Amino acid sequence: MSFFKEKSVFTRRQFVKGSGMLVAAAVLTGVFAKFGFDAFAASDDYIEKRIAGMYSLDESMAIRKSHENPEIIQIYKEYLSPGEVKPVSEKAHHLLHTRYGKDIPDLMEHLKHDPTEAA
Amino acid sequence: MSTVLSTGLIQVTNACKACDHCTSICPTGAIHGRLGQKHTINSQKCINCGQCLINCPFGAIVDRPTLDIVKQALNDPDKFVVVQEAPAVRVALGEEFGLAPGTNVKGKMYAALRKLGFDQVYDTEFSADLTIMEEGTELIHRIFNAVGVEGFEHTGPLPQFTSCCPAWVKYAEDKFPHVLPHISSAKSPQQMFGAVAKTYAAQKLAVDPADMFVVSVMPCTAKKYECDRPEFISSGFKDVDVVITTRELAQFIKDVGIDFLSLPDEKADRLVGSSTGAATIFGVTGGVMEAALRTAYEILSEETLEKVEFTAVRGLQPVREASVNIPVKALGKTVPVNVCVVTGLKYVDAVIEDVLAGRSKYHFIEVMNCHGGCINGGGQPIRRDLY
Repeated sequence: MSFFKEKSVFTRRQFVKGSGMLVAAAVLTGVFAKFGFDAFAASDDYIEKRIAGMYSLDESMAIRKSHENPEIIQIYKEYLSPGEVKPVSEKAHHLLHTRYGKDIPDLMEHLKHDPTEAA
Repeated sequence: MSTVLSTGLIQVTNACKACDHCTSICPTGAIHGRLGQKHTINSQKCINCGQCLINCPFGAIVDRPTLDIVKQALNDPDKFVVVQEAPAVRVALGEEFGLAPGTNVKGKMYAALRKLGFDQVYDTEFSADLTIMEEGTELIHRIFNAVGVEGFEHTGPLPQFTSCCPAWVKYAEDKFPHVLPHISSAKSPQQMFGAVAKTYAAQKLAVDPADMFVVSVMPCTAKKYECDRPEFISSGFKDVDVVITTRELAQFIKDVGIDFLSLPDEKADRLVGSSTGAATIFGVTGGVMEAALRTAYEILSEETLEKVEFTAVRGLQPVREASVNIPVKALGKTVPVNVCVVTGLKYVDAVIEDVLAGRSKYHFIEVMNCHGGCINGGGQPIRRDLY
């Protein structure tokens, strides 16, 4: 009875060829993925070196806190808040702060009608 | 609603091989084109970060060049040209001259800028310190308001987000308008510098601010967009006239034929040019947070920090958090300040959703678009050796 007779869609030769291609595809995927991961790892390497450069520069600085910068103290005492160091003073607010999104047209209107007295 | 002009600052050239690498990098999905089809950038959606540009394997993506504008200004005898350089420039500029990444070339950078003809060589690190003073004070005011101290009712809500990164600011404006009241109103260091240069510095130097031309050297392409935003005119003039990238400065130095490596180490000009270690680390993810903590801790506790490093906020994890107990002298009690640092905008959405839903436990959140911070910005030397 033909029901029990073994039938194959592939010939033996086609099966060997097909398996070989599948194995090759799997191996190549691995190789390319490895290449990709290596590129990513290398990219983190230069990032880490630049970061290390920044932190060692920080350590080499004589002053390491913003509020101790003598020119910062000077600009507040002489210009932004005369006589004292007072951030968010009126002048500091005018020069050093901004607004975002839908508030920008208002801010620009204000800047145009209230030109800085400093100029 | 996008209130800012669409600039088309970042463009894909015909060298595009349609490999699709950039679309996987773009944080806003602004790059269109299928595999095998030349890509285009939607400038409305683009936040100008330039990550696609520095990561394109074929060098097919470019930013709008601005070096010629700087050369013209330097050749104009009527213009008084001052320059500022961002912290991250000094640890990467040397790579364009064969030095290892991370080599500090600060002194040679100042010397090169003087040789190129800038009238005053200042430093963005000065205005980074100024940012800490303003942004840190704003945070203290918001915390005082939240714990019910009188006189701080007009401050914004907590948590406060940083505002230094123009890619992040545009992203929030485009995608999360409800989070804008949480973003610090302090300008970025670049824009603060422009505003004080054309007022305070011009007055001190007896220069007409109309003749002053402010150039920035930035590790960032989004800074080119930021300086063109129409609201940055608080000095009465355009606060920062033009931005060039780290790559363009290197190009300029090579064009003029300066032997960069044999330059002596010089210093920045005084007045608005001196800086601190806190300002230097602005160029790294977590650096703005650490600098703010150093100042906020000392001002609130009225004590001197024994150890200035807050290592908990350092690292390359996309989202990091820490809690710092600050003994607040004015309130007579210790307040825990919860902070969060985000690097990479694809990680910020979850943090923002918590804030908008009122679930966030943080007081202060630093956001930078680029992986690792400004040191890996879209204007930095491109590491083609990786490919």
